[in-house]
Order: sequence, then C-alpha cells, then structure tokens
Amino acid sequence: MATEETSIQLPVIELDHVNKHYGDLHVLRDVSLSVEKGEVVVVIGPSGSGKSTLCRTINRLETIDDGRILIEGRPLPEEGRDLAAVRAEIGMVFQSFNLFAHKSILDNVTMGPVEVLGRPRKEAEAEAMELLRRVGVAEQAQKVPAQLSGGQRQRVAIARSLAMHPKAMLFDEPTSALDPEMINEVLDVMVELARQGMTMVVVTHEMNFARRVSDRVVFMADGQIVEEGSPAEFFDHPQSQRARDFLDSIKGH
Amino acid sequence: MGLSELLTTYGDVYLTALLTTWKMTAVSYVGAMVLALVVTVMRVSPIRPLRVVGDLYVQVFRNIPGVSLVIIIVYALPVLKVVLDYGPSVVIACVLLGSAFGSENFMSGINTIGVGQIEAARSLGMGFVQIQRQVVIPQALRSAVLPMTNLLIAVMLTTALGSQVPLSPNELTGAVSYINTRSTGGILAFAISALGYVLTAVVIGFVGNRIDKRVRIVR
Amino acid sequence: MSSHTDTMSMRDALFEAPGPRMRRNIRVGTAISLVLVAVALGLVVQRFYLTGQLAAKYWTFFGQASTWAFLGRGFLGTIQVALVAGVIALVLGLVLMLGRTSALRPVALVSRVVIDFFRGVPSLLLIYFFFLVVPQYGIKLSSFWMITLPVGLAASGVLAEVFRAGVNAVPRGQVEAAMSLGMSKHKITFKIVLPQAIRFVIPTLISQLVVVVKDTTVAYVVSYPDMLQNARVLITNYDALVSTYFVIAIIYILLNYLINKASVAVARKTGTKIISRTSTAAV
Repeated sequence: MATEETSIQLPVIELDHVNKHYGDLHVLRDVSLSVEKGEVVVVIGPSGSGKSTLCRTINRLETIDDGRILIEGRPLPEEGRDLAAVRAEIGMVFQSFNLFAHKSILDNVTMGPVEVLGRPRKEAEAEAMELLRRVGVAEQAQKVPAQLSGGQRQRVAIARSLAMHPKAMLFDEPTSALDPEMINEVLDVMVELARQGMTMVVVTHEMNFARRVSDRVVFMADGQIVEEGSPAEFFDHPQSQRARDFLDSIKGH
Repeated sequence: MGLSELLTTYGDVYLTALLTTWKMTAVSYVGAMVLALVVTVMRVSPIRPLRVVGDLYVQVFRNIPGVSLVIIIVYALPVLKVVLDYGPSVVIACVLLGSAFGSENFMSGINTIGVGQIEAARSLGMGFVQIQRQVVIPQALRSAVLPMTNLLIAVMLTTALGSQVPLSPNELTGAVSYINTRSTGGILAFAISALGYVLTAVVIGFVGNRIDKRVRIVR
Repeated sequence: MSSHTDTMSMRDALFEAPGPRMRRNIRVGTAISLVLVAVALGLVVQRFYLTGQLAAKYWTFFGQASTWAFLGRGFLGTIQVALVAGVIALVLGLVLMLGRTSALRPVALVSRVVIDFFRGVPSLLLIYFFFLVVPQYGIKLSSFWMITLPVGLAASGVLAEVFRAGVNAVPRGQVEAAMSLGMSKHKITFKIVLPQAIRFVIPTLISQLVVVVKDTTVAYVVSYPDMLQNARVLITNYDALVSTYFVIAIIYILLNYLINKASVAVARKTGTKIISRTSTAAV
C-alpha cells in the first residue's frame, strides 16, 4: 500500500480552488493553499479580505461553495462523527476566546479530553494543570473565565486546544481583542508552540510575529491570495501593489 | 364585618381558596414549562414549518388577553363540541399563556450564550447532543432562573382568571367576589386574599433570588 | 468577518450548516411537519364544519359596517381605559420610584410595600376591590373609573420598577460630575437623572401597554362598554358566539402584537433595551 508512506509527506492542510459567497459577496476567490507538517503560516491582509473566513473553513465553521479542503490528504467530512473526529484533531483559537462561561478554567481545559476523547477525569485534570502551568495561568484553575483578564483567557483557550493533542492549530486573530499590554503574553505562548514544531495557521495583524516566527506569509485581499512567500521576501520585497499599499498603511504602527 | 367575624364565618373559604390558588399555580406552571420546552425546541429546530408554528404560537398566546382566552375555552369550545370542566379550562388557559412567556425566557437564555462558545465546542469535536448537554442547556437554564421565577408569580396571578368561571372551590380572587356578594366584607375581605397573593409572591421571589445568586453565570 | 457570526442569531447557530445527510433529513422533516400542520388545520376546520359554525349567518354580519362601527366604539372604549390607566400608572409609578429611592427610610419602606403589593396581586382582584368593596363605603364610581383605576394601579407597581431600572442605567459618573458642579440633589434628580432614565425606558413603557390593554378586557365585570363587552352584545344579537369571540381575540392579538413591534422598533432606533425582568404580569 502506497498510502502508508505517502501520507507522511502529505500536507496537513490543503485548500484546493476554494470559493465561497455570502449572498452577492464573493468572499473567497479560488483560494489554494497548503500547509506542511510543522509549518507556521501567517495570513495577513486588510479587514474584509477573507482571511478569517479562510481560517474558519478549515474546520468547517464556515462551509464552502466549491473546491476541496483536504486534511492529511483526506477530504474534510461534511457532517456527523467524521467531521467531529477531524475537528478534534485541529485546535482552534478565537479572537473572542469563547471559553465556556459556566465552567471553571480547569473544566474548560478538561472538557474536550473527557467528553470527546473519553479520557478519565483524573488523568485529564493532571494534564490540564500541566498545560495551564505551561501557559502561566495554573493559579487561576478554579476560577471562572469572567474573573480572568483577556490575556489570561486567551492563554486558557490555547491550553484548551492543546489538551486535545492537535495535529495543527488555527488562530483566528488571537490578539485582536486584547489590550496592548496583554498581547505579548499570548504571542509568547504562540512563539513557544511554533518552536516546538506545531503546525499553525495564524490570522493576525501582528507583523512582528509574522516576521519573526512564520515560515511563510500569505497576503490576502478581496478574497484572493495576492501573494505568498517567506517573511523576509514579503516584508522587504513585496511583489504586488496591494501588498505594498497594505504594508505602507500599517507602517505607523 | 370585623376580622374575627370574617375569619370565623369564612376562614375555611379563604384557606381552601389559598390552597386552590397554590394547586392551580403549581399544576399550570409545570404544564407551562413542559409546553414551553417543546415550543422552544420547535423554534430552534432547522425544520421551517416547526419554527413558523412555534413562533406563531408564542405570538398568539403572548398577546391574547387571558380573559379572552378563558372565554373561548369555556364558552366557545363547547359549541364546537369540545367540553371541558371549569377547573381544567382555567388551568389550560394558564398553561397556554405561561408557556408562551416561558419559551421567550428560554430563547433569551439561549441567546445569552453566544455563538462563539458553540463554535468552540464544535472545534473540540463535540457532537450536537454533547454541545446541548454540556454547553447550551446548563447555561440557558441558569440564566433563566430569574425570569422563570417572575413567570411563576405571573402564572399565580393568572390563576385569578378562575374568578371568571363558576369554580368550586373558589380560588383567592373568586373567594373575594363570593364573600362580598353574600355579606359586606369590606376592605378586610379583600385584604386577606391580597395578602395570600403578596406573601406567596414574596416567598417565591426570595427563593428565586437565592437560587439565581447561587447559579448565576458571571460574564 | 467575525462580524458576520456575531450578528447571526443563536437560534440559527444551534444547528450548524447542514451536510448532505442532514439536508436530506431536514427535507423529510419539513415534509412530515407540513403534513402534520395541514392535518391539524384540517381537523379544526372539520370541527367548525361538523358543528355548523361555518354557516354564513355566523360570519356575514362581519361584512356590515354597523357591526364594525359598534365594535369600533368598543375599541375606542378600550383605548380610552388603556390610555388613562397608562397615564395613572406613569405618574404613580414615577412617584413610587422616587419614594422607593428616597433617603427618608419610612417613605422608602412604604413605597416599597406599595410597589410589591401592586405587583403581587392580580389586577382582577383590584378590580373586584373597586367593584365590590369601594361601594360598601358609600363611594360611587362610574364604571369607567371602576375599571381604569385598578388597571392603572396594577401597572404602576411594575412601572415603578421599570423607572428604577432606568435610573440605575444612568452612569454614576454623570451624577458625580453634576455634584462637583455644585448642583442640588433635587436638581440632579430632575434635570440630569430622570430625563435620561425616562428616555432609556420608553420602549419598555410602550411594551407594558400590552399588559394594560389585556387588563382592560375585564371591563365587562363592571359593565363598561369596551370591545369585549360590545362583542358580548353582538353575540346576543346575532347568536354568533364562536365567530365573534374568535374575531375579537384576533383583534386583541394584532393590537398587542403591533404595540410590541412598536416598542421593539423604538428600542432599536434609540439603541435602548426592553427590560423584561421586572414584569410579572401575564394575564
């Protein structure tokens, strides 16, 4: 069987000529992208460029109209247990944290392992504590989300995803809802993850993060991938006028 | 008529009336909750006709005056050969009215959760039933405690519709009209019934607040 | 694009975008439920038909102008009671709220008891008070006031709590700013706090009108010619009980539906919210 060997080289995430509309609005235009194992891909672009939508199609929080999405070479299932199983293997971190408001921090992190993977609670809690320590919020384990700062909540959200031992993680503007002084505490955790070889797709406005950490920068505008390349290439020698305009517009920041 | 005379003559009427009001309230409330749940499930389902019927149901019974509904059940339905006893008629009216408001409470309970938490649960690989059990229902129930407490009081007040039909035994409002058409009970006759309602409402409100404080979700 | 999901209502979010299998299930469910709805409607119509209630004589008088003129007079009666009771409730509700938030302990306590009393008794009981009890003390009230006073009083308790919620919604910083300008407490309440509080609760006040309209339907107890009372006259004239009660119920439902719609529209326009937690009235 050839699949056994080739699956190792297959991209973890692959989008193939993906299109999506919201009514008349063409939000994703023929988007193709592949993310290799261990790669950190940063998606940037002006607001409304479709970058968040792109990120959300990967675990089907958004549906697509046509094209294909492959996870480790297999088409993303459209519903049911198969879809849930794929989602369990892909972590997702949202702009607005989306912690479960009625659960303690610890329960937020153990929810996935206990409910989805069926792991014993004791074991899941021990690992959750370890993860919370790693992201620096172990002391808050018994509190509820509302008692934490935005930065702390986002780190909990990352721990919640990590508890599922994901093959890849999606970050949908993870620092956009944070006060400036909290951005770095979240970015630091993400840098650490990247260093450990996590496959990551990161939609962000943090250009420093993109430049320092990413393996590849993807620039989107009007639902299209306008250009992609290494951070050095992209930031120092952008090929397209759109990208140059965009980089100029954010230079002040 | 003094208080002692009133109580010796009509004490048992009041007592039965209070118990009748309590009983009607309890039965109506349970019925209303069950029906509210069914209607709410219809309203959030992806099946369009069920949604439309659920929405229509809520609009009708939120907006129909209780008196109008009781009159239809008690006087119009028998003409259509649907005959119900007076007691059940009033309870059915209370259930129909209460369930419409109950469903609205459930809906706003669901609305406070936010799409984000559902998406987060989906991203963890949780299935539909798991998400309902772990995320949606617990939060919807907890944020519905206070509105549902108010609804319980409202249902109690609605059972006063029983005074509009010949009910036996009378409930608290009917008792006032019963006593005052027989003797001049004066303000006291009215006050005793009123006290029955107010004290019950205060107790319900107190308990509801206590429960709410314990389970409220900080956001 | 997160704005797209934020505005998406929760009722649509509980089920995610369907895949092919789910789409098929929804189609089957839709078909089955359509059949059930049709059967239910059919049974209702059949019931009307079997009991002869579809006969023309029960419905044709709704085509006559005189019927609607008569119902219209009743409708005006309903509106009169509702509006006057509404004004009573507004004024008394405001007074009760000011009393409840007063620094004078006894005033605050009495106001609180009065508010809880009016919120805790059914309006029907208050109506029997004015209909059966008040006359025992030699006070003669017209049927208009016998219905309007209790309806107004019942609503005043709720409105007092609505106003209080409005006052609480006025940012504390504004009061502090006014105090630092040396404004008197009295002036702060009437010039700064109340105008904003009232603007904030206008949609809620409109939605409370629904409760008032519902309460007016008990007018027949005191024989005041409101819409329901006039409907009862029609029923005796035409011997058309079922059709009349159904038509009247639909009119009330539409009226209250429109009032609710109006309050939501005003709330949306002014960016305020409808406070529903204070209401215990469902009749």
